[in-house]
Amino acid sequence: MESLRRLASALRNLQHKQQIESDLDMEIRSYVQALTDEKIASGISPAEGRRQALVETGGLEQVKQAVRDGQGSTAIQSVMQDVRYGLRQLWHNPAFSCTAVITLGLGIGATTAIFSAVYALLIRPLPYPGSDRLMEISEVNPKQNEYGGPMVSPDFVAAQSSLRNFESIAGSEAMGDMNLTGSGDPIRVRVAGITANFLSQLHVTPEVGRGFLSSEDRKGGPAVVLLSHGLWRSKFGEDPKVVGRSITLEGQSRTVVGVLPAGFIFPDSEVEPDLYVPTGFDSDTTITQNTQVHMVRVIGKLSTRAHLEEAQTELKLFAANRAKGYPVFLASFMEQRVFVAEPLHRFITGNNRKPLLILLACVGAVLLIACANVTNLQLARSVARQHEMALRGALGAGRLRLVRQSLIESLMLAAISAVLGIGTATLLTWLIRRGGMPGGSSSSLGFAEILQVPFGKLSAAVEMNGGVLAFTAGLVLMTTVLIGILPAISGSRWDLRAALQGGTRRISAGRGDRRVRKILLTTEIGLAVVLLTGAGLLIRSFVNVLHNDSGFDPRQCLTAELQRNYTEAPEKTVGFVGRLLQRLQGLPGVQTAAISSSLPLQSIAPNTAVLPGDGPIPPIGQWPVSYGISITPDYLRSAGIHLLSGRGFSESDDADSAPVVIVSKLFAEHNYNGSALGKQIRTNINSRGADQFTRRTIVGVVQDVRYNGAEANMEPVIYLPLKQVRQTSLTILLRSNIAPGSLSSAVRRAVIETDSDQPVFNLQTMEGRISQLVAQRRLIMLLIASFALLALLLAGVGVYGVFMYWVSQRRQEMGIRLALGSTRGGLLRLILIQAARLILVGGSLGLAAAWFLDRMLASALVGVRVHDPVSLTLAWALMTLFALAGTGLPALHASRTDIVSVLHSE
Amino acid sequence: MERNQANLLQGTLDLLILKAFGDDEFHGLGIARRVEQITQGTFKVRPGSLFPALHRMEEAGWLTSFWGESENNRRAKYYRRTKKGERQLGIETEQWATISRAIASALKAN
Repeated sequence: MESLRRLASALRNLQHKQQIESDLDMEIRSYVQALTDEKIASGISPAEGRRQALVETGGLEQVKQAVRDGQGSTAIQSVMQDVRYGLRQLWHNPAFSCTAVITLGLGIGATTAIFSAVYALLIRPLPYPGSDRLMEISEVNPKQNEYGGPMVSPDFVAAQSSLRNFESIAGSEAMGDMNLTGSGDPIRVRVAGITANFLSQLHVTPEVGRGFLSSEDRKGGPAVVLLSHGLWRSKFGEDPKVVGRSITLEGQSRTVVGVLPAGFIFPDSEVEPDLYVPTGFDSDTTITQNTQVHMVRVIGKLSTRAHLEEAQTELKLFAANRAKGYPVFLASFMEQRVFVAEPLHRFITGNNRKPLLILLACVGAVLLIACANVTNLQLARSVARQHEMALRGALGAGRLRLVRQSLIESLMLAAISAVLGIGTATLLTWLIRRGGMPGGSSSSLGFAEILQVPFGKLSAAVEMNGGVLAFTAGLVLMTTVLIGILPAISGSRWDLRAALQGGTRRISAGRGDRRVRKILLTTEIGLAVVLLTGAGLLIRSFVNVLHNDSGFDPRQCLTAELQRNYTEAPEKTVGFVGRLLQRLQGLPGVQTAAISSSLPLQSIAPNTAVLPGDGPIPPIGQWPVSYGISITPDYLRSAGIHLLSGRGFSESDDADSAPVVIVSKLFAEHNYNGSALGKQIRTNINSRGADQFTRRTIVGVVQDVRYNGAEANMEPVIYLPLKQVRQTSLTILLRSNIAPGSLSSAVRRAVIETDSDQPVFNLQTMEGRISQLVAQRRLIMLLIASFALLALLLAGVGVYGVFMYWVSQRRQEMGIRLALGSTRGGLLRLILIQAARLILVGGSLGLAAAWFLDRMLASALVGVRVHDPVSLTLAWALMTLFALAGTGLPALHASRTDIVSVLHSE
Repeated sequence: MERNQANLLQGTLDLLILKAFGDDEFHGLGIARRVEQITQGTFKVRPGSLFPALHRMEEAGWLTSFWGESENNRRAKYYRRTKKGERQLGIETEQWATISRAIASALKAN
């Protein structure tokens, strides 16, 4: 109540400021008058009485100020005064203000933009209620790979009924892309299997219809399907009566039971299915030689009472128990296997975590450098403004008031910069969102293209929101303190008398200030060297990735993907391939055309069991698997893969002729010390059964080609004639002598003309594929490189500013030195040596820091190692040169000091 | 006395001023003289602390003010104690009694 009343009175006082001021003035005057009257009454002359009265009263202004200070309104009033004064100061020094605002604005903007990505991808909770208890349960088997993978379905079914620390356990199975036909044009849809409890565990209710019943989620259950909102809109025109209709998926008819709500996001960083079907796992949890297993991604919801550690222990026990029930041939393989639960959020953002945090650290370093620069500017200015400060002090401003005034000026500066920064950040996040949106790729903005999708589908959620703005506000406060506190203290420290008396002479900064400035400068240089080293490492890695010889020629290639029904008879697939190939080869501009099961650089899985030509067949599970790629004869020529020895395939290598195989150089080296030609191997695609091995003769050896992305190691690969080994995932690879992109519509038409039910997808040039593969790496490299460049520039400007100031402060000294016989070259040397010392210290600090910090990037490096001497040296040399250039101008300036004018000015 | 006055506790000044008012009304110099009188000249209240105190107490609602004519027919701002000010005087008197008892006993202790 009391404080409210005080506030009201303060506001009232603000309103009637004029009235109150004149009243106060009148009151004090009448006091002096009354005192004078008293003196006169006691017999003193009027003039002497007035004089004594004034002396006893003390300064009228001081009394008034004391009254104002005691009033509630004064605090607000004086802050507003300071704000106005600060704005005036900034307005009257446009050079300083613009430099500071642009420097800080860029720093704050970049930091805010990166933080908004960090916030959307790493901090904001997942859009499922109670998501903090959702855990991804994955199988970790050191004998297979170090990362967690999916569970096999019998283990999953067993886990559902036996784990006590989880309230519920749901699973999903990636089913890849399937062809949806029978309702308009055939399209390709992404399909996932989900268990009946999957949606309810995420607290998602279908918008139309219902989710799967547990009675539907069983082996041989009814053929039902759930639609995503997107598919419902695009394919069924949001028809509410879609429930009950039947659609055809991979030739099988299924009944629609429901539609998912618009905002639903599938809990996976990359996949967003269009259609959902029940998983329908077998309830039998035993594993035998003949068990057909599915790979299940498992999400468990921790029960409210359970802790993650207890759950982990239970999972370990569970894994051990399960392994006991495995057949003998799997038991040894499963020895070290464990199940691990980790928060779903962390799992989904796993790959993006580190690069984003590194980016945030780098951009933070840029902001620090910007702050150091502005601090230096402020310090220099505070020396120039010393006279003003002293005057204000003499007029009754307390030291705290001066500090506050200076801090408010810094706050103004930071706040204006933040407006610029938020503008920049909004633009950047808009570009990121645009890139993340489906269809955004057609944008003609080159910049948006760079920001495209590298962080997966969650990047669509990158935006400026309350959380991000709060962070920016925090940045503004931090910036204010960083740039304001030192100048504020140093500006308020003046000995009034000395400052006022020495007003005509220039006074240089105190020792303490000079030291602060040197420390700031070396820090800036050091930080810039660290960033430059990081940028150097990433640029070298990027160049290495681009120049990685992947064993084929990506120029002039157009690619596309097709999927045939799994259930289709092999002869039908082969027939389709033959007819399509004929059409493709007939297209104008096409040199060679090929169809294969995989493209170079495409993700592939070891799908073919390969045994030597003779000897017993080991038990299933111990078959060595390799990458088997089915190709048509022109694949090698279309991709530009060199045949090293032997022959390629021809049209006559078909189902009726002798089984043949071409192997990669690595495969030949691993298994036959290079001389593989004519040797025999037994292959078994998709590891079907022990009786499904085919004996093949190696007829050719080809150069190694990179698969699984642009950065993976080369793997041993075998190539099989597509006519002998049919696969249902197909790709088209054309080499053309015209711009390959221009063939797209012709290729699409050729496919439809061959089979009107066959959708084509991912039609793009090989070079387009490569640029997508390196998109994230390129974005991070570009960002860090631009941050490093900014840091270099800022540090250079900082060096220039400090030494320019230093020289201007020491003009007298230079004049005297010249008068005493120093040469101009000597002056130049004097300054350069001073500067070089600072730059060397900064550079060495930076090198040391970079040496320690560059291991953060270790996982992102390709073809270079941490502590790469080239990057370190270049970073150091670049910064040193730049900083020396920054001192060059001031040094020249100093060496041109005009003795006469210096001596005159004394 | 100068030093002591500088150190005069703010609360003490309020107490003295509230006490000095009684049921009368005073302008600035009048109340200063009144305080001087009732403390037998020990406390000389300087305008630098007097006016801030008066304004603060007015803002707190312990005093009200009005413009009136002084003895010499000059305009002056007069203050008068309010009911609330009277209550405050009671509170502060009690506090002061507690403090002075405590200090007295502290000084007597060996």
